[in-house]
Amino acid sequence: MIELVNVKKVFNAGNPSEFSALNSVSLYIEGNQVTVLKGPSGSGKTTLLSIVGCMSRPSAGRVKLNGREITSLPERFLTDIRRKTFGFIFQQPNLIKGISVLDNVMLPAYPLGEKRSHLKMKAMKGLSELNIADKSASKVEWLSGGEAQRASIVRALINDPHIIIADEPTAHLDTKLSYRFMEIIEKFKSEGKTVIITSHDPLVYESAIVDSVVKLRDGQIEASST
Amino acid sequence: MILHPTVIANLLAAYIASAMVLYAVFYGAQIIRHWDIQNGHELQLVLERKTYLISTLLSYVFGLQLLSLFLYIFTADNLTPLFVGAMCAAGTLNVGSFGYPVLVLKIFNFIAAGLWLILNVADNQGYDYPLIKKKYLLLAFVAPFILVETVLESAYFMSMEADVITSCCGSLFSSERSTGMGSEMASLSAKPMMWIFYSSMSGTLVCGLFFYFKNRGGYLYAVLSLLMFVVALISIVSFISLYIYELPTHHCPFCIIMEEYHYLGYLLYILLLGAVVSGLSVGALSPFRQVESLQAMLPAFIGKLALASVILFALFTVLVTYEIVSSSLVITYEVVY
Repeated sequence: MIELVNVKKVFNAGNPSEFSALNSVSLYIEGNQVTVLKGPSGSGKTTLLSIVGCMSRPSAGRVKLNGREITSLPERFLTDIRRKTFGFIFQQPNLIKGISVLDNVMLPAYPLGEKRSHLKMKAMKGLSELNIADKSASKVEWLSGGEAQRASIVRALINDPHIIIADEPTAHLDTKLSYRFMEIIEKFKSEGKTVIITSHDPLVYESAIVDSVVKLRDGQIEASST
Repeated sequence: MILHPTVIANLLAAYIASAMVLYAVFYGAQIIRHWDIQNGHELQLVLERKTYLISTLLSYVFGLQLLSLFLYIFTADNLTPLFVGAMCAAGTLNVGSFGYPVLVLKIFNFIAAGLWLILNVADNQGYDYPLIKKKYLLLAFVAPFILVETVLESAYFMSMEADVITSCCGSLFSSERSTGMGSEMASLSAKPMMWIFYSSMSGTLVCGLFFYFKNRGGYLYAVLSLLMFVVALISIVSFISLYIYELPTHHCPFCIIMEEYHYLGYLLYILLLGAVVSGLSVGALSPFRQVESLQAMLPAFIGKLALASVILFALFTVLVTYEIVSSSLVITYEVVY
């Protein structure tokens, strides 16, 4: 599904502040599985996730998605893949204040030019599934932490991506909401989606629904277990 | 040197273009030598990022290069009052030895820059940079001409002194003179030249349409469009100008860009240059129709270029025909002086 070959990421290359976030990481992530990237702060989890999700490019190495090499793709092709293949759930919900929950959820689908009525129907269905349909017209600043997180999950799913990428999704959730989040992840898995999560929360990487855990330290893979 | 705003604008445009082209050639040479899309090494990834910067930069530089031809002609026309004997841009370009060589180079570089821009658009359609090495080889070929143009243009403008006595266009493009390319073109008989123009234009348009509908004869159309460009330029001097000026002896290809003639020359030259660039690009892109990442879009893109070229040539012909038909000048016999 996703293959990383000797991926390196160096920030501020050639400067005194040069920092190597990833050092020759090679990894294969299976499709239709939940994979957790685990490791302490600064281990390179988020950097790796951003490279897998086509949000940044490696300094060296290649990434293949379904056998197709994607790191060399020109930006407009990469944007297309990013929009259609990946759904992103961030540590913070990153919802845009001042507009409604529904508008926030529909936003990533606007560049694809889908008919607004279809889009609205799809967004409302997603909000209903996560029990926040009644908040669709509310402004995002009125939502609780859990509601905001669920709204961001619906937003990540609006383009029906095959791969869900979640960066420390439970960092700002209490235990009950974290369990609720893992239930949602289980549902994604049952729908055939591939989920990649970075986390150092035991509630996530020890969960029964997780298929493999990749342990990172100092920009290298320390261990990988399934 | 004459410190006229248009002269400064010309020189600035030339220096900016040359500096940027040199920068692009430096990285272009690395791309030609080291590019390997299968390779995941650091240098390859750096080159992949650099090519965005260079392509974007060159798009603006070559856009400037296209405009600089018209700015140069406009400047030459604008400076006319400063030289004794000059009646239009033709006289100004005759000041010093470099005016006309720079004009020829600018026309050549216009066509080359246009081709590069089209090649760049085609390359950007493929997911694996299919034309990248060809694109930078073309850049390496064009760069020396742009640098020579800048050197000659600097020499031309910097050696320019006011009140120099120069020739007027009536003398430079006169059928009475026996030497000079302008006079040779002006000496060509109007009627036969008119036949040559219309018959070759008909052939070119038919070939272009045939390629557009049947997808055959692309290379032939590219060659014909270049020949047609030359024939059209000669025709402007030989007979088109006569009808526009309504004078059987005035062959100047520059007076038509003046206000008195509603700047018609600019439109005619834009149509011609646009037609030859898009026509030549049909031939330049045809070899890459089978490239895997371009297979889906390139044939349609080449078809559009051919159609654009045909339309531009047709508009040129319509405009010229309108000028001939609406002109008070009637050439019923060969004018011999």
